[in-house]
Amino acid sequence: MTLPALTLTAVGKTYRMGPPWARRTIEALQPLSLNLARGEMTVVIGESGSGKTTLAKLCLGLIRPSTGSLAFNGETFPGQPGRLRGRLAAVLQNPAAALNPALKVHQSIAEPMRLAGLMSHAEIGARVAELLEQVRLPVALASRFPAELSGGQRQRVTIARALSTTPDLIVFDEAVSALDVSVQAQVLNLIDDLKRQVGFAGLFITHDVAVARYIGDRALVMREGRVEAEMVARDLYHPAENLYARGLQTASGLFE
Amino acid sequence: MRGIRFSRDPLSLAAAALLVVLLFCGLLGALTGVFGNPSALADLPLQPPSLSQPFGTDNLGRSLLARTVAAIQQSVLLSTAAVLIATIVGAAFGLVAGYVGGLVDDVIGRLADTLFSFPAIVLAILISALFQPGAASAIAAVTLITLPAVIRVVRAEAMAVAGRDYVVQSRIAGASALYAMIVHVAPNILGAVIVQAAYSISFGMIIESGISFLGLGVQPPAASLGSLLFDARPYLPLAPWLVFVPGLVLALTILSINLVGDGLKAGFEGSDA
Amino acid sequence: MLKLTDLVVDYVGRKGGNRVLHGVSLAVPRGAVYAVVGESGSGKSTLAAAIGRLPVPGLTPISGTIELDGMRLDTASEGELAAVRRDLLGYVFQDPVASLDPTMTIGRQLVLAAGLTGKRAVGALAELGIRDPERTLASHPHEISGGMAQRVAIAIAVARRPRLIIADEPTAALDASVRRQVLDLLVAQCRAADATMLLVTHDLEAVRRYADHVAVMHAGRVVEAGPTRAVLDSPSAHYTRVLLASTIGHEQPGERVVPTEVAP
Repeated sequence: MTLPALTLTAVGKTYRMGPPWARRTIEALQPLSLNLARGEMTVVIGESGSGKTTLAKLCLGLIRPSTGSLAFNGETFPGQPGRLRGRLAAVLQNPAAALNPALKVHQSIAEPMRLAGLMSHAEIGARVAELLEQVRLPVALASRFPAELSGGQRQRVTIARALSTTPDLIVFDEAVSALDVSVQAQVLNLIDDLKRQVGFAGLFITHDVAVARYIGDRALVMREGRVEAEMVARDLYHPAENLYARGLQTASGLFE
Repeated sequence: MRGIRFSRDPLSLAAAALLVVLLFCGLLGALTGVFGNPSALADLPLQPPSLSQPFGTDNLGRSLLARTVAAIQQSVLLSTAAVLIATIVGAAFGLVAGYVGGLVDDVIGRLADTLFSFPAIVLAILISALFQPGAASAIAAVTLITLPAVIRVVRAEAMAVAGRDYVVQSRIAGASALYAMIVHVAPNILGAVIVQAAYSISFGMIIESGISFLGLGVQPPAASLGSLLFDARPYLPLAPWLVFVPGLVLALTILSINLVGDGLKAGFEGSDA
Repeated sequence: MLKLTDLVVDYVGRKGGNRVLHGVSLAVPRGAVYAVVGESGSGKSTLAAAIGRLPVPGLTPISGTIELDGMRLDTASEGELAAVRRDLLGYVFQDPVASLDPTMTIGRQLVLAAGLTGKRAVGALAELGIRDPERTLASHPHEISGGMAQRVAIAIAVARRPRLIIADEPTAALDASVRRQVLDLLVAQCRAADATMLLVTHDLEAVRRYADHVAVMHAGRVVEAGPTRAVLDSPSAHYTRVLLASTIGHEQPGERVVPTEVAP
């Protein structure tokens, strides 16, 4: 069995707020263990305050755990800065803020490759064209600025950038929530195809059960920092047994 | 960079045109002397405006036209030099404060606030008193006075940009804080910096004129618009043109710089981020 | 309450103009929640702005009538329009931070825009689910979250008890997990203020949940309009059917949703 891309072992996160004499602790994430395996899309469903954002940040190495440990490809994570350059990537919610407006599309896509420092200028150029094709965008878009692209196109560029270093893990944080409904389907189809082709481990955060069950292989329902329920994503096509999950299905307009 | 846009509003364009004319005259005068020699005695003292002396002469008989043209150049040059220094230093501090946040931000913020809390003229007089009155202390004064405003504006903009997804993305991809600041934050706050610089230049001119008017700035025989006003004070009842001409030119220059600042602001607000 | 007849609107920019609305007609019954649904580029936001004759640069009404509660807005003078916008119309826009003045505190803006002072302001914010109203009143727009700013914008919109509230993608700029709360709030406030609501959105789920009636827009035209259940469950227009078929939520487990393009 291949090593999971990312393993979380009893990972929890607590925040301490307030002045030293009136400290409050907030448990944003209760200890949980999770394996993110290659070629598998794990969906985390939750509302705001559920801990899903904290989980995403932990998996991206943007914050450190208060308890427990993470291992990326078997090594301690986050480890030495720069060691895992290019091994993980993210696609975030807001297409309007995802790309630097001062940079052309090809510059944004090339950035992770340049930072990883493993490819020549010419190799990077060729790969940018390859990536644009992979995300089903015309190669001519490479020399445009983000302002000239639609939300859906920008999201695809962000996906192209995320794929550029063939990462082992991609975190999608509400990646389709800001898109038109029909564009959502297209982008989700694309992500699904790429997952099969490229074989990255995927962590998809969303509040929308319809999106979760469509894109996910495995689903975790989170509530107030805790995993409330865990199931095969496809099970969400039927009314869930767990009451909270059932409530989320209704909130997403399903089974009303 | 994608190109600085300017408002198409007629007022802003007129102001920009006026400014260009004023600066051009200043430059022309300095290079060719076509407006006359600002230090030479051209005619009898205190002569009202006439065909031979369009702006009249001052108390020593020097051509006011020549002196005004030289003064425009001097005033604008001093303010611009000071604001350039303030902008470079202030932008660097503001960028770090806004991006890094935390303790660094607190320290820089406090320093800026302390400087800001001094009334501008008082600070300017203080600096002139510490150093020799002259062009150098005028520049120092304007620099210190406009520095806090630059830091504030840059800090606010940097904070807004630093939180954006594309900056987070570059950190995820392994970029260092310095890389993120230079490649992602700086280009996207450039617009605000330029607009702030424009406004600072006009404010700087007011300050410089103020100190020179008090006799603490530019010293004779050099002339700035403020020092011309200082020289003209005792002669106001006899030769009012000595006050009106520099005063009017000063007001017009400051007004047009402000309008150009507005025009730049409108142009940037049309665009992005 | 609101009746539009053959509204034609162009956008005139530096490079010339192009037609955005090609003759839009719709009738909004009093007290209803009326949704206008369409994708980006369908013209729905232009419609929202055109109804109130908002001074959007380039927005040029060409022909057609706008009747609000019997009053003709398309032929009204600037003075009459100002009064209408103040007393009869309330707007909630997509970007709450942009709709609020960045230089004034929230409290001051509530006073200026809605006449809400002191206790009434605190009460209004508390009613909208803002937990620390006093602190919010003292803050500036950039110091509060998007969700809170939008709640403030809603408070301002309903404060003068307008007859019609137009909400243009009110939750699109908000974090996905607070959207539902804010939308619930907006609809509740409209109902409480006895107002009619025009909800412009691309979110079909929201339409199903709140709207009594819906008009579907595509490429500047209304392709279909009617009671929500009727339009969404048994659409008659080709575009509506394609739109519904392109959205996820109604597919079989494991089935792919393949969106199709519809020519304007």
